[in-house]
Amino acid sequence: MEIDIQGVNMVYPNGRQALKGLDLPLRSPSLVGLLGPNGAGKSTLMKLLVDALRPTSGKILVDGRPLAGNERSLKSRLGYLPQDFGLFDELTAAQFLDYMAALKGLRNAKEAVQRALREVRLEEKARARIRTLSGGQRQRVGIAQALLGDPPLLIFDEPTVGLDPEERIHFRTLFSRAGQERLVLLSTHIIEDVQSVCDQLVVLAGGQIRFAGEPAALLRAAQGHVCSFWERQAAGERSLHVTARVHTAEGVRCRAVAQALPAFARPEEPTLEDAYLYLLSQEERP
Amino acid sequence: MRKILIYELKRLLWNRFFLGILLVLLFAGWQVLSGVTLLGVAHTAPFSPWSFGDYLRRMLPLLWIGALFFLTRFTSGGAQRVAVLTDATPVPPRRYAGVRSAAALLATALLCLACLAEALGFYALYFGGEVLGGLWAPALFVLLPVLVFALGTAWRLGQKRPWLVFAWMALPLLLSALPLPAELGLWNGTLFSEYPLRLGTLDPAFSLPGQAVAMQGAFLGAGLAALALPFWVARR
Repeated sequence: MEIDIQGVNMVYPNGRQALKGLDLPLRSPSLVGLLGPNGAGKSTLMKLLVDALRPTSGKILVDGRPLAGNERSLKSRLGYLPQDFGLFDELTAAQFLDYMAALKGLRNAKEAVQRALREVRLEEKARARIRTLSGGQRQRVGIAQALLGDPPLLIFDEPTVGLDPEERIHFRTLFSRAGQERLVLLSTHIIEDVQSVCDQLVVLAGGQIRFAGEPAALLRAAQGHVCSFWERQAAGERSLHVTARVHTAEGVRCRAVAQALPAFARPEEPTLEDAYLYLLSQEERP
Repeated sequence: MRKILIYELKRLLWNRFFLGILLVLLFAGWQVLSGVTLLGVAHTAPFSPWSFGDYLRRMLPLLWIGALFFLTRFTSGGAQRVAVLTDATPVPPRRYAGVRSAAALLATALLCLACLAEALGFYALYFGGEVLGGLWAPALFVLLPVLVFALGTAWRLGQKRPWLVFAWMALPLLLSALPLPAELGLWNGTLFSEYPLRLGTLDPAFSLPGQAVAMQGAFLGAGLAALALPFWVARR
């Protein structure tokens, strides 16, 4: 599956420009992590990709055909989990998935539902009414409906919100497996979620793409720009962008990114979070 | 889509609200039948189409509220949050909307049937089964246009603002308290309580003034148009 986003601008009726001249090719199989601060335009981009919004200008091509006018073709191959969604509380988890399977036109709905429930580890709650499920379990029903029928395009907007750490690891593995055969777009602000599984990263900020490529390239860009130091050493130092502070017996140990590392700081190997924060700090520089 | 229809009906009917409105409807119906209809309206027999029509128009506000409560299952904030998932499926929006309209109409029809069945049971109990002929005309005249209008208009209002459906529930109560022109006499009861008296015969045969028929036709047309609007828009 191929998606080409070409010169897409999105301006909301209130005048806020959410996306500015976005160009992005997406090819399967791939697991693409979409990162960015709040208000960067991640959710808007996802809504455009599922035809919940229409771009103000520019176009989106799916396998070479414009999305506008071919929405059904896209939606028949789409599994989508938005950031904010509701479920029919009066139905059981299995009934809700059966309902969604009917809307997706799946032939073997029963098998698809059981498989989706198994993948999100909700088999024991299949007959429980959705209103009785916890927040994390509801999130898993949401993920399950996206997985129904093994669609070749999966779009997840903050899928691990509300899940406990063990479940988050499980879903990371699940998304990673899906990304080996399909195109998976994973929007999150949790760097950990994309660090170990994504083969492509897209960083959005202010409605524009700040980085698109392999995680290693983002890490390389931050090499030589990450350091640690004692907080007392850095009094008055304004060039450092502190990313973590740890209280120790000897004082407060800080981790920071900077364009040029000061002499007192010890260079560190960048993590993806460092690299991401370094990229964003570069954008903030006057 | 049959499966969707069944699930939607399950959502509408398999809950405490439906049971509650059904019980309230049956209780109120019995009160009207035994307190008002039993005496007959406009000097007609209790089982005349006039008295039966009067019974149905007195039940109309409750049926209207019941129908609109069904709609809140499709137009509420919670329902709109589910729509972000259903909108991402390949089902044609007008077919999906059509199935949901059908579910709301069927659920409303069930409430109407409960009302009608109660009245027929009442008549059979007090007057025997032979008086039941000819009651379908007032039933169709009173219920069909008004409830189609209720569902159609409330659906459109609910899509604009969910709370408007709740505000719309008060319309029949408001109209029943207003002095209305003869064409709208159904709403405040004058059509069944005064019009037969003007016909100049005792226990006149059931007939309706042309203006009232035209008005009901207009309600039916407006309701159907409101229900069909999304289909028309989608086609364009």
